[in-house]
Amino acid sequence: MLKTIKEIFRTGDATVKYPFAPIERPPYARGKPEHDVAACIACAACAVACPPNAIQMKVDPKGGTITWSINYGRCVFCGRCEEVCPTKAIKLSEEFELAVMDKNDLEETCTYPLQRCSECGTYFASAKEVDYAVRILRQGEDDDEKQRAAASATICPKCKQKADAYRAKRRSALMGVQQ
Amino acid sequence: MIIDHKVPERLQFQLDQKTLDESVTKAKLALLNDIKRSVYLYRCDLGGCNGCEIEIFASITPVFDVERFGIKNTPSPRHADIMVYTGAVTRAMRMPGIRAYEGAPDPKLIVAYGACGCTGGIFHDNYCVWGGADKLFPVDVYIPGCPPSPAQTIYGFAMALGLLGQKLHHTDIVEEPGVQAPLAYEDIPYKVRVTLERDARLYSGYCYGADLSDEFMKTIEAGSTNVMASVNELIARQQDPRKAEVFSKLRDDLVKMTVSSEQEAKDLKNALELIVASNRNVAAAQAAGELPNGSSEKLAATLQIPDELKAGIAGQAVESEGK
Repeated sequence: MLKTIKEIFRTGDATVKYPFAPIERPPYARGKPEHDVAACIACAACAVACPPNAIQMKVDPKGGTITWSINYGRCVFCGRCEEVCPTKAIKLSEEFELAVMDKNDLEETCTYPLQRCSECGTYFASAKEVDYAVRILRQGEDDDEKQRAAASATICPKCKQKADAYRAKRRSALMGVQQ
Repeated sequence: MIIDHKVPERLQFQLDQKTLDESVTKAKLALLNDIKRSVYLYRCDLGGCNGCEIEIFASITPVFDVERFGIKNTPSPRHADIMVYTGAVTRAMRMPGIRAYEGAPDPKLIVAYGACGCTGGIFHDNYCVWGGADKLFPVDVYIPGCPPSPAQTIYGFAMALGLLGQKLHHTDIVEEPGVQAPLAYEDIPYKVRVTLERDARLYSGYCYGADLSDEFMKTIEAGSTNVMASVNELIARQQDPRKAEVFSKLRDDLVKMTVSSEQEAKDLKNALELIVASNRNVAAAQAAGELPNGSSEKLAATLQIPDELKAGIAGQAVESEGK
């Protein structure tokens, strides 16, 4: 009897105090993905990588916006979004208390403006993404090709294709004159 | 990327969702507000992977011990106060789920457990999945997670019993046009930055590699006067030999990319030898009358030789011709 009581005192209390005291989380424990609205460029890399489609992007071509959304109820906390994010805007935090009473509370959305094409005026990509790409291309590089790419960043792919076609036509016409 | 099922609603099978009578709703609210007894929990798996079951049983172990709140697992829905539905609701498990629901006495709390139980999770667009317990039953608490850890489980049950409040809320943020995303490590050339990050990810995995390259580039930025010294100091500071190895590999990359004076001299010497050899060939060709005069200048221009070197090349060429 005395031996048992001694053993009980020796082992102590194994039960954690949670929820009355905060619980210790190991480093790199994967919790709620925190989205940094300012750092996000709405490039949709996370939406492509997300295995259960918890992160989705919706484009509104009339309103000129792109909406990033996450459903924490569908998230499997794999961290792929964190891995692929080019600006490190999404990071799996220590937060794990995600239970809700209303399903609507599991969703989070963030809307970003789209960039208009400088030639035809249609929306074609996230404005922040274009701006970010231009700033990276201009950064200390005097590579001629890169500067040209930066200058033509606000032109949509269709207009670029058209311009290329016209240039090819002009070139072939010139060649014909020479012949 | 954008999943939109374009099948019209009249062609989809519509589940008849269970609804609650007014008296049952009232009784349930009373139960939610003020439970003064132990609650019995019945766990119903509607086509999950058993990860959620393992976590539920982990939470009744001595470490997490939900039984201290009076929550007890029961083998029959007839004794249950809380019904815990795990797993994406599959076509085959719909009827057993409804039978368990009908078997439990009113008022009962319904908990959708895990990513699958909440929304269908990773199986949400599977052909045989209805997607979430809320398609069938009036759910009170959603506990997301894949699987939810015991701490998350305790939090969810505590919320169901009214001990804790809800933390997560729906947010809609609209960003104004003209906001710029910050550029990280602007002082480091783009090519160096990309190479360091790519190599760090190659050496130690995608997630940790990014962390290590971040630490490395922060050190580079901080040691703007003597980069190599601060990088060496970073490597010496590491307790973990794996981290030290990755950092020293990154330092080698950095040395390769930033040309030191020795390296520069070596490269110039190599270039010079090449040019001298080609000059000799050109001179030989000129002597034989195969090339017009002045082509050696053109060659030098195409090779982009710095001006101060040209004199040296000419001198060497003369020397070699003299020999």
